[in-house]
Amino acid sequence: MKKLFLASLALALTSSVAFADTIKIGVVGPFSGPASLQGRNFQAGIDAWLAVNGNTIGDHTIEIVYRDLPAADPAQSAALTQELIVSEGVQYLAGYYYTPDAMAAAPILEEGNVPMVVFNAATSAIVNASPYVVRTSFTTWQTSTPMAAVARERGINKAMTVVSDYGPGVDAETAFVTAFGGAGGEVVESVRMPMNTNDFSPMMQRIKDSGAEAVFAFLPAGPATLGFMQAYVENGLKDAGVTLLAPGDLTQEPDLVALGTNALGLLTTFHYAVSHDSPENAAFVEAASKAIGNAADLSFPAVGAYDGMYVISKMIEATGGNQDAAAAVEAVKGLSWTSPRGPVSINPENRHITQNIYLREVAQEDGRYINKEIQTFEAQTDPGWKAP
Amino acid sequence: MSDMPVNSVTTRSWQRTALGDFWAVAAVALVAGALFLLFPTNLALLTRIIAVMLLVLSLDLVTGFSGVATLGHATLFGAGAYAAGIFAARFGVTDPLLMLAIGAVAGALAGAVTSLVILRGHGLSQLVLSIAVVSLAHEAANKLSAWTGGSDGLSGIAPSPLFGLFRFDLFGRTAFFMAVGLLLVVFVVLRIVVRSPFGMLCRGIKQDPVRVRAMGAPVYFTLVKMYAIAGAVAGLGGALSAIATKVVGLDSLSFTTSAEALVMLVVGGTGKLFGALVGTLVFVWFEDRVSAINPFHWLTIIGVLLIGVVLFAPKGLVGAAESLWARVRGRRS
Repeated sequence: MKKLFLASLALALTSSVAFADTIKIGVVGPFSGPASLQGRNFQAGIDAWLAVNGNTIGDHTIEIVYRDLPAADPAQSAALTQELIVSEGVQYLAGYYYTPDAMAAAPILEEGNVPMVVFNAATSAIVNASPYVVRTSFTTWQTSTPMAAVARERGINKAMTVVSDYGPGVDAETAFVTAFGGAGGEVVESVRMPMNTNDFSPMMQRIKDSGAEAVFAFLPAGPATLGFMQAYVENGLKDAGVTLLAPGDLTQEPDLVALGTNALGLLTTFHYAVSHDSPENAAFVEAASKAIGNAADLSFPAVGAYDGMYVISKMIEATGGNQDAAAAVEAVKGLSWTSPRGPVSINPENRHITQNIYLREVAQEDGRYINKEIQTFEAQTDPGWKAP
Repeated sequence: MSDMPVNSVTTRSWQRTALGDFWAVAAVALVAGALFLLFPTNLALLTRIIAVMLLVLSLDLVTGFSGVATLGHATLFGAGAYAAGIFAARFGVTDPLLMLAIGAVAGALAGAVTSLVILRGHGLSQLVLSIAVVSLAHEAANKLSAWTGGSDGLSGIAPSPLFGLFRFDLFGRTAFFMAVGLLLVVFVVLRIVVRSPFGMLCRGIKQDPVRVRAMGAPVYFTLVKMYAIAGAVAGLGGALSAIATKVVGLDSLSFTTSAEALVMLVVGGTGKLFGALVGTLVFVWFEDRVSAINPFHWLTIIGVLLIGVVLFAPKGLVGAAESLWARVRGRRS
């Protein structure tokens, strides 16, 4: 009897080791501080995915471990990533709102045998920093390039560029200057602002003085973009006839409420609008709105996280729950599916997402401000990526 | 600068201070060893804490011992971090000990140069000057992005194995042991410095600079010298963080980091070397744990801790422990 008891105990213990297979996913993002709305969108996307698909994949239970990184801080990002791998034992890393944070974490991936799925950070070069990086968001090259064609179609000849002085800002500037120049336009001036700039009035004056017909701008979505847009409106640039051209970071849906009627008619190019019309998106918006609490807070980082979770689930399926970063990344190369944003696929060459980019116009519908999609640039790859 | 303690004419008092140093080092080493055994997976955090400890020790030298008000002390930390990082990433100087030396020299230079400006002011104007210095340094590092990486951070730092033997691994063991060794050396040197005639002179300046000047001792130059020493210590901390995390960000040169260092010093207790160590350990550890448990509202909890310490232990944790100890001893005798 005792022997039987011991045997069953031993069996229970060993089998519990085999079945109590919790796979941890470490998520790094801005969950407190001024940019916490973006972090909450990460969380909403993850929660929405878990609500729709459940938190088990085969025999494996998924557990999410959040770490807060309120602002772009590469040293802290490296520290948190190392801690997630060593101390928490995460099998997958995800999130990373700002490029410097993703860049700082990337060199650790190979030694830690952990793939990273970037939910947002948008500099093209991140995928070159490690073979274990997969990205489900966008690059500023991807979102900015179509804007040049749009501007030329609308008869704009002279433009000025204003960007945040860091990776994705420089990318956005280069992308626009390249495409706009290639289409026969002239960029009269290019300005890079320090990332922590929060007073944009002097910049608006400079734009007015430059004599440009349009200003192309990129700042990371969050407090900075709202401040920039308010300055654009308040300093009368719109009335002075200076057209604003920007990727959709500048008109993310939660900011539109604060900008009000002033933003109506603004044109932006982006990969996702909350108002995108498809059954997939309707289901996503319903689940994500429930997760975030207030539907008006929903924005694009949520869709990056939602699709990122899908990619991670495919990685877990392919590796059977074993920690094998190389196999996991290999399994999702070329993966294609229908995302809430439209048809997408993972480019096997650079592990970045190929997707539609939409031209949108800020419009009012049923009393809500939305980014109304008016033109589609289909299956855009990342024009900024060059083989290392 | 003499290494002899001020009052040590007899051998007995010399022995006593040596014994004191021994116990202090033993205590720090013991705590480090215990933490290593208890938290083998948190070594990177502990290494980061030691790097910040060096910054807070350095701040203690100028604020706690010499009475200089500063909210820009991260300038020296950042100078060390960027110097070590730039030499490693751009010039291939990857020997960790050499990187530490570069950090110390850069920190000392930055300390001496910035003190020339900061020491011109007194009280509030001194605070403002120190903030101006750190803001200028931050902006300079941002603008010189070809060298520093700007907001993207300085990456590509790959320190070679320590003594050619111990690789800087993912678990952070090598970095941790190097950090503990460095901390012990700095700690002993600083104990000697603060009780040397030079250290005493700095304390005198804190209490009454006019009187020190009347005695015929140079106030300004003494403080510049102290600032250079503090700079070397903070620079070592910066270099250590560059080696351990392999990235240097603009944050290492920010007003926020400076202010946080001051908060840690206040939590631990100013004017005591142990205060700097305890304050940093408690603050950073608490911050890390709380932000892991609740990544969404952790700042509120930190705020409550700070208010608690300031209300109930105005002399810092070490000060509170000392007075408690004194009371217990008083009751016994």
